[in-house]
Amino acid sequence: MPVKKMTYDQAMKCLEEIVNKIDNNELDIDSLASTLKEAEEIIKFCREKLYKVDNEVKKILEGDSQSEE
Amino acid sequence: MQESPLSLYELNSLVRKSVKTCLPDTYWLQAELSEVRTNYTGHCYVEFVQKETKGNNLIAKARGTIWSNVFSLLKPYFEESTGQAFVAGIKVLVKVSVEFHELYGFSLTVQDIDPTYTLGDMARKRREILKQLEREGVLTLNKELSIPTLPQRIAVISSGNAAGYGDFCNQLHKNDSGFIFYTKLFPAVMQGDKVESSIISALNDINSCRDNWDVVVIIRGGGATSDLSGFDTYELASNCAQFPLPIITGIGHERDDTVIDSVSNTRVKTPTAAAEFLIDKMISASSILDEHTTSIKEGIKQIVDSQYEKLSKMITILPLRVRIRIKEESYRQDMTKSRLSSSVASLLMKEQHRLQLLEQKMKSASPFEIMKKGYSISLLNGKSIKDSSILKEGDKVETIYHKGKSTSIITNIEQ
Repeated sequence: MPVKKMTYDQAMKCLEEIVNKIDNNELDIDSLASTLKEAEEIIKFCREKLYKVDNEVKKILEGDSQSEE
Repeated sequence: MQESPLSLYELNSLVRKSVKTCLPDTYWLQAELSEVRTNYTGHCYVEFVQKETKGNNLIAKARGTIWSNVFSLLKPYFEESTGQAFVAGIKVLVKVSVEFHELYGFSLTVQDIDPTYTLGDMARKRREILKQLEREGVLTLNKELSIPTLPQRIAVISSGNAAGYGDFCNQLHKNDSGFIFYTKLFPAVMQGDKVESSIISALNDINSCRDNWDVVVIIRGGGATSDLSGFDTYELASNCAQFPLPIITGIGHERDDTVIDSVSNTRVKTPTAAAEFLIDKMISASSILDEHTTSIKEGIKQIVDSQYEKLSKMITILPLRVRIRIKEESYRQDMTKSRLSSSVASLLMKEQHRLQLLEQKMKSASPFEIMKKGYSISLLNGKSIKDSSILKEGDKVETIYHKGKSTSIITNIEQ
């Protein structure tokens, strides 16, 4: 699934799987770069959820408040 | 003889004196307030009633007065201790003196109040509500919901101008970590008799767009005196218990939980604490993210490092190994070479020996060698004769000797 379409919990699960793979020595050197890239993408996505205003969410909630007030 | 009649005043004076003589002390009285009025001077006028144990019929009633100097202390003390406004409908335990006035009649003057009695009565009512919800199997439904990992979209039920709401929003939106929260106020009356209906209506509004929200926060804005009785109703508790989103309450009172505190998913004391609770949830999500980030980075670095170490080991080991191997190979070649030459020599010798032997054998087997010893070969028509029976008398037989040959004629044949 593309990262952008994941929920935060799904993204965290992916990260956990990567951590487990590393811990269990299941990651070979050939897939290192692609795994690291994937992890970085997920981490960026998660951080944005925590620290960046999602205008789409804001719009939905504001639209909602206009209709009610 | 008929006594001279009394004036009403005289009679009432007699009653007053009798009351004063017979009931000189103060008395602790349990009763329900059926009416509470205050006037501009600050005096409070109440009506005490007692109902039948079963049913609503009155069996006793009395007026009461709380003078302003008493009421100004008694009201805040009572409300602060109970979280219950001093209003009609509640049960109280008050210390009264009994008065009778010629003009105003029978009345009780309140001197003190014991809030614990009212608290006990309120607690009993709350327990009854909770028991009923338990019987209906809904008591813990909201508690069983789990708060999302990131509780960012928050539907707030509060009164918009309450200090508590401001505190909550401030605390939440100005959090030190810079977490993003989305809040929206669903206004409700948080005091008085409209609490129940207005909170239920706000809950219904939220429910109609519940996918937009992660949690519901019900907060009430501070203030010294408080009337929390509106939060102790069955209808409101039942609505909260069965609400599909987790509810966090910050009703803000030091005394026992209200009923909705008891059924909500999470109960905190103040609106500020509600904001802190949500921020803490985000902090724990963020620290898990940080942990994963660190362990991925470190893990990958470790893999790269260990691979690099392996590679460098290879780089040092390889030439050494190659040199050893080359040495081994050349030694093997040398060995083979020397073994080859020695084995060839011995093979040659063996063959020579064999040849010599054969030569000797051949030599000794040659007819010429035998003829040297005196033997000769007789031939008939060029073929050696091995049997005399092939001969006839008169045949010419050639005889070969070691040296020279002769021809003879057969004269006699013996078998």
